[in-house]
Amino acid sequence: MKIVTVTISLIVVLFAFSKAAAQQKPKPPGFPDAPGKETLVGKCFQCHGPGMWMDHRQDRKGWEGTLYRMVGRGALWSEDEIKAMADYLGAVYGRKPQ
Amino acid sequence: MRELVARYLSNSISRRTFLKGLTASGISLTAARSILDSLVPAAHAQNGEAVKIVEGTGALCFAEQLIASGVKYVFGNSASEDAQFYEALVDRPQLKYILTPHEGPGAAMAAGYVKASGEPTIVMQAAVVGLVNAMGQMFNAFKEQTPLVFYSYRTDQTGRAGRDGFEEVANQEGIVAPLTKYSWLARRADMIPETVRRAFKAAWTPPYGPTYASWHSDLNDERVRTEVILREKFDPRMRVRPNPAEVERAAKLLVEARMPLMIVGDEVYGAKAVAKAVKLAEILGMPVTQARQIYASFPEAHPLWVGALPVGRVASLDYPKDPDVIINVGNKLQHNSPTPMIGRGPKFIDMRIDSWSMGNVMSTEVPLVADVGYGLDDLIAAVEQLLNPSVKQKAASRADEVRKFSQRARALRAQVTKNPDWDRAPMIADRVTWEVAQFADPDAIIVHEAGSVNLHGFNFDPERGRELFYYYGAHLGSGVGTAAGVKLARPSKQVICLVGDGSFVFGPTALWNMARLELPVITIVYNNHAYSGPHSRVIEKVPGGRMVQTGHFFHDYLGSPDMNMAWIAKGFGVEGEVVESPAQLKAALARAKKATAAGKPYLIDAQVARMGVAWADKPWFPRK
Repeated sequence: MKIVTVTISLIVVLFAFSKAAAQQKPKPPGFPDAPGKETLVGKCFQCHGPGMWMDHRQDRKGWEGTLYRMVGRGALWSEDEIKAMADYLGAVYGRKPQ
Repeated sequence: MRELVARYLSNSISRRTFLKGLTASGISLTAARSILDSLVPAAHAQNGEAVKIVEGTGALCFAEQLIASGVKYVFGNSASEDAQFYEALVDRPQLKYILTPHEGPGAAMAAGYVKASGEPTIVMQAAVVGLVNAMGQMFNAFKEQTPLVFYSYRTDQTGRAGRDGFEEVANQEGIVAPLTKYSWLARRADMIPETVRRAFKAAWTPPYGPTYASWHSDLNDERVRTEVILREKFDPRMRVRPNPAEVERAAKLLVEARMPLMIVGDEVYGAKAVAKAVKLAEILGMPVTQARQIYASFPEAHPLWVGALPVGRVASLDYPKDPDVIINVGNKLQHNSPTPMIGRGPKFIDMRIDSWSMGNVMSTEVPLVADVGYGLDDLIAAVEQLLNPSVKQKAASRADEVRKFSQRARALRAQVTKNPDWDRAPMIADRVTWEVAQFADPDAIIVHEAGSVNLHGFNFDPERGRELFYYYGAHLGSGVGTAAGVKLARPSKQVICLVGDGSFVFGPTALWNMARLELPVITIVYNNHAYSGPHSRVIEKVPGGRMVQTGHFFHDYLGSPDMNMAWIAKGFGVEGEVVESPAQLKAALARAKKATAAGKPYLIDAQVARMGVAWADKPWFPRK
């Protein structure tokens, strides 16, 4: 239920931001504007290209685990930043419907 | 009898042969022993001579030159044309032969011994057929600048060479040329010691690196009379002080810098100059980082340590974001992308003995070609000359800022335990690492060849705590052998070998050496039954491709059947076990500690989950 709620909220937010986003500089395709995106792009994209994220489908908990594994590799992120990125990725790149 | 005495004193014959010769000439065994005893002082005096004449087979002269070169251990694989060398070993107990069942792990063991002891050694193989097995580790030694001497005889014999005989290849010594500092073929048996001396001299003159000596196999059997020379008389003992004018320029830049940054590397560890690097950083309140190298060369718990370079570029550091002066002390700065590790903005000071690689990529404001121990001494002295209250105040305030960052960074890194998968079985690699970091002795040596695993929690401190022996050359299969060599060199230290399953199966034979020589190393295999690194990299290169769509990865899954590393270890005489959960791992580590306390090596096959993009629970794999 929680995942569904977060997903719906994100879709609303994405829609609200989509017009403004279109007028700004080019953005990585497949990464709609939503809370958590800026943190993700700022923290992760210096090492990882957008393609890797699109290939990786998992639920929010899975993404959270992935992000904490990056902490093990030296990433310096606060718990709030990890939460924001996990929320975003869980909503945008969660498991594909069966 | 005079002839016998001369030959004994020149080490051309053994004690046993000497006694046999005397008794054959009619002297009683008791009298012969008495004569032998009377010669001992003379023989010892002879041994202290810098240059001595040796008479015997070429192989005997080879053995004598190894002793004179300071070699205690010889790492070799069985070679039939080295018969006369083995014969010479019988009466030369000071030269210990370590039989290694495969040349690759054998060379890794030798390299580990050199790295941990700072003592010379040699790796011996059978002709070109053994040499090519050792060449992977020769590549590692070349990349890692390890002073390791290799030898293998050349088949065929001088009288029939060039006819494409058994094990014969043209230009054998030329095969290794790109991987060595020096390679040479002795042309006559009496030139064997000279060739060996050059090999040791070249390997041990900075910048260090591997060398190769060879000669036709029959030269080992030929009897000659030749000179053997002590190392002290042919080693140039090269230790270079930096150009004083450049030192002053460097000091000025550092003192005037808004935000200087120091990168440390292996030359700091090698020169035992860690305390000097700490001192320079502290005087200037300068943050310190390190790009990929073998050793940890700065105490990681120090408040000026800001962590390793995340992707090998200064720009990727979380802090400092805008250094204006960067000094590299002893790091080779391995470039893995077209972008220079240090951008064109900051002024760059490069202090290294390896002048060959300086200035190749980076724009270098101040080159300091030096032994970094001397270089740091001189630079510290020059900086201290420029210190005034204002500079000290600036340094103190900067140190405070760095300290705040490093404290926060430590707290953030500690969050690794908050992973929602922390308690799962099979384990995540971070949990295995964390448990080992909790378990390891405060001054343990960690040999690390688990390429996809990032270490954390060890707080390496090379001069007062734990030491790291990582890999830089990347020819896999070095970890287990390196750990065996490290333990041989440093028997009083706890040695823990961390290795991925992919790397482990390239070089497990050194486990047999651990068992035979009672080298109580704890080996921990991160076993996810996969090549994790190549898995991730192909997805980066072909995102969204057919591999991801179909799950058909041809190159990365090592399961089905799953390899049991504990069984492999048992086959080599090393006790081991498979663990899946954190609780099992803790219990296994306790058993490993008990085993090693009794002088026995131990292996833990830690089952690790495959995590990352597009891993199926039961991965597809190609079938016949």
